[in-house]
Amino acid sequence: MSENKSLLSGGLGMVMRNKRYIFWFWLLNLTLAEFGSAAFRKSAHAILDHSAYADRLVHGFDFSVMLELFARPEFGPMAAMSTPALYFAFLFFLATAIFLPGVFQGYASTYRLPRADFFRACGTNLWRFIRLMIIAAIVMGIVAGILFAISGAIGKKAVESTNEKLPFELQMTGLAVIFLIMTTLRIWFDLAEADIVLNDQRAVRKSIWAGLRHTLRGLLRLLTSYVVATIVAAIMLVGGLWVWMRLVAPESIFGAFMVAQLTLFLLLIPRFWQRGVAVSYWQQKMMVPVVAAQPIAPQSAAPEPAPVAIESMPAPPPPEAPPTLQS
Amino acid sequence: MQIRWKLVVLVVAVVFGVTSLISRETASAAPQAAAPAKTASAASAEPGGALSIPDTTLAINSPTPMSQRVVHYEIDARYDAVKHTVEATEILTYHNLTGQALDHFPFHLYLNGFQPKATWVSEAKLVGNRDTSYAKWEEKEYGSEEIKSFEVVGQGDLTKDLQYIQPDDGNKDDKSVVDVHVPKPIAPGAYVQFKIAFHDQMPETQARTGWKRDFVLGGQWFPKVGVWWQGAWNCHQFHAMTEFFADFGVYDVKLTVPQNEVVGASGVLVEEKSNPDNTNTFTYHGDDIHDFAWTASPRYKVKDDGVFQGQMGPVKLRFLLQPAHWDQAERHERIIKQTLEHFEKWYGPYPYKTLTVVDPEPGSAAGGMEYPTFITGDTSWWAPGGIHLLELVLEHEFGHQYWYGMVATNEFEDAWMDEGINSYTEVKVLDSILGKDTSILNMAGITAGERELQRLGYISVADLDPIAQKGYDYATYNSYGGITYGKTASVLLTLEGIIGEDTMAKAMHTYFMKYRFTHPTKEDFLKTIEEVAGKDLRWYFNQAVYGSKVMDYEVMRVDSFPVNWYEKKEMGFGKKEDKNAVYRSTVWLHRKEDFTMPVEVEIRFSNGEKIREHWDGQSRWTKFSYEKKAKVESAELDPDHKIQIDRNNFNNSYVVEANPKPTHKLSTYWLFLTQWVSQVLAWWAV
Repeated sequence: MSENKSLLSGGLGMVMRNKRYIFWFWLLNLTLAEFGSAAFRKSAHAILDHSAYADRLVHGFDFSVMLELFARPEFGPMAAMSTPALYFAFLFFLATAIFLPGVFQGYASTYRLPRADFFRACGTNLWRFIRLMIIAAIVMGIVAGILFAISGAIGKKAVESTNEKLPFELQMTGLAVIFLIMTTLRIWFDLAEADIVLNDQRAVRKSIWAGLRHTLRGLLRLLTSYVVATIVAAIMLVGGLWVWMRLVAPESIFGAFMVAQLTLFLLLIPRFWQRGVAVSYWQQKMMVPVVAAQPIAPQSAAPEPAPVAIESMPAPPPPEAPPTLQS
Repeated sequence: MQIRWKLVVLVVAVVFGVTSLISRETASAAPQAAAPAKTASAASAEPGGALSIPDTTLAINSPTPMSQRVVHYEIDARYDAVKHTVEATEILTYHNLTGQALDHFPFHLYLNGFQPKATWVSEAKLVGNRDTSYAKWEEKEYGSEEIKSFEVVGQGDLTKDLQYIQPDDGNKDDKSVVDVHVPKPIAPGAYVQFKIAFHDQMPETQARTGWKRDFVLGGQWFPKVGVWWQGAWNCHQFHAMTEFFADFGVYDVKLTVPQNEVVGASGVLVEEKSNPDNTNTFTYHGDDIHDFAWTASPRYKVKDDGVFQGQMGPVKLRFLLQPAHWDQAERHERIIKQTLEHFEKWYGPYPYKTLTVVDPEPGSAAGGMEYPTFITGDTSWWAPGGIHLLELVLEHEFGHQYWYGMVATNEFEDAWMDEGINSYTEVKVLDSILGKDTSILNMAGITAGERELQRLGYISVADLDPIAQKGYDYATYNSYGGITYGKTASVLLTLEGIIGEDTMAKAMHTYFMKYRFTHPTKEDFLKTIEEVAGKDLRWYFNQAVYGSKVMDYEVMRVDSFPVNWYEKKEMGFGKKEDKNAVYRSTVWLHRKEDFTMPVEVEIRFSNGEKIREHWDGQSRWTKFSYEKKAKVESAELDPDHKIQIDRNNFNNSYVVEANPKPTHKLSTYWLFLTQWVSQVLAWWAV
């Protein structure tokens, strides 16, 4: 339990020390989504801005008005609205993949990582991350496909039951199992990502194997930590929506925007927390001790010096933070 | 000792009393049960023969029959819950009230529609269907209705003379109608009796009939004679988009089912007895109804303590609910009682003694259906109070007790007269009970009203079919739904705006009272409205009912400029407007589509003044011009929102100063969704 606590608190500490990463990712998320929703906004402006009928969307929210808007030919098909949004969602995912090595590097350091080092880590590890993501996508895709197929088959059988709730209950149970298994896979590849960056590992396969070994070795601790972070995310989402629906006046656009963005900002934290947990675990269990080269005293009978682990990261700027040993 | 004797006497007295009461209650029904045996040999095709249609009133709160009874069905059926089959005998006594001799009789065999090459399945595959995609067809979905023997009393066994006919599409593989020529025509006013033995294979629920797991709904399950209507037999094939049509009469039905089954049916239960072979036989009796449906499931939970005090007498409410929906029993009862109250107040009395509400098996295609005194609802174990689907379905199906059950229109040809008129009254009743803008949805600040959803259903298929289309001739299933339900409701709501809400209410009441227990035509309905309104409404009916014209009026343009615009003036940012300036303002209205109708427009000026103008709506466009010391702020067509058939509500108004709030609000939702999806993708993928 205390070990779990140390993983969770260690990970959270890293997130808190590097809050700027959350801010930048949120800003990136918002900016890309703004572009992604531009088509929607433009179409809606053209129809709603001069119509008194649209007022029914402001004072309360008349669902039928929204349906009618979506049905208007001049609004365009929903695919024309959702496709750009999905493209920009994909861009956010790519941006996350590009900048994540810098985040890992920043989390592992005990000082404020200089911008140059952040982007250097991103550049150095870009190709390694792409390779890792491809492998992760294949593994996770296959496993998810199999799990959902099994869950679907069970659900199909359950539909025949006279217990009406059974299909739902089985579906929820199946989703919970799938979530746990997929989270385990995510832990594996998070550890591999941490290892690639922090160990400066060029051979991605070695980090994958190391990640797998340690996932299995520390599964309970890691999984518990990841699940706790996910539960926190779920609470934040539900809480945010509750505040939005209950406390924000229907006509308050600014209030709605603020609550929505605050919720989305907070929602970023749990995932970064999980990555912090991965870095914390890596530092505790996966960091390879490096033996410092000692000059050999010729003809000496002096005892061998004890191996000393040194930090495997690039040396930080001397005035701010001298290199320290990681425990 | 003395007390014991007193007790014994008391018990005997009570038993005797109850038995006597039951005997008296069943007495009026009993003769029908016995009638077949008594009258079989005396069957006659001559007027004044021994046959007759009973004038029982056991199932209605009326001392005399309420309909002109044409048929008397006596059915003895045994359901095999394992094979999902029904073995039955049917004795049909038919009273020839057509005014002419009848030499042939067509019968519906609806269950034969559920065969791969039958018209029903072919159409469902082609144009779509509510419940099934027909991407594949499994044997369990087959249904069939086979006549084992067919005898016309006094004329012999005519089984070999039965002929399948296809009056609508000539599809020789369709066996949903069978016709029999009788050697001796039945004279006007005479009775004829048919003795039929038949075998049903119930399908896994299709079109609100059949079985699902251990549940069964017996709808359209027995050979049913066609209706002599407008000088000919009206007996259409079973079509994917149409429902039914039959004559009023008396039903005496014995259902034998396994002992564990809980049973519900049309009419009143007059007898229940256990049989030595682990079955129970339930005997039901129905008066002044034109169909009979039943259901059985071992898992129904029954709520039957509810009684509605109707204008003609008490109505016993019986709810057969799924165990997982038991906590919704009060919701079921509440909406049924409220609906009954509204219908009795607005349209007329409900004369039947019972109403059975069935909550069918989840996942079955049996939800949301109407039969006389018997309806099915549709809900699930998760039915939050803010989503009023449960109420919507129950209200709608109950409404059919009036618009179908009593005002028995031809559902094959005039589907709008039951579904559409019912959708209109559904809007009215739900508006009254649940609120105009919240009758479907009222949850977390999100609302939706039934009238708008009916309109949305219509505008999506507005130019495809007229309302007066035959039920089986619609372009698509969506068109059938959007026009018969949505357009009719919207057209009648708009009519309310033309003749006034009170006049419309009076017309509906008059129509119900005049045509209950008959088979009115579309003209009967439309003429009743004209008579009550005292207006010629043909201009409206021709477009809205008989035509497929579409309405879309818009405020095309609004313009205001100073009359002395040519004079040089200081212009620029921050310069105040001249308060004494006179503006020439013009509002252009445009008729974009071909439906014409007078419309009103309300024009608001910057000084707070409002002007209402009337436009006959005939020309393609018109304009209204003003010279005032104020600019036009907005113009709104149909400011009282009386028109429910305009295809586009957004262009009915023009507000000069743009209000971006609605877009910003929707965009905030869309932005949130986009960001959240991005985060979820990034969460799992990297």
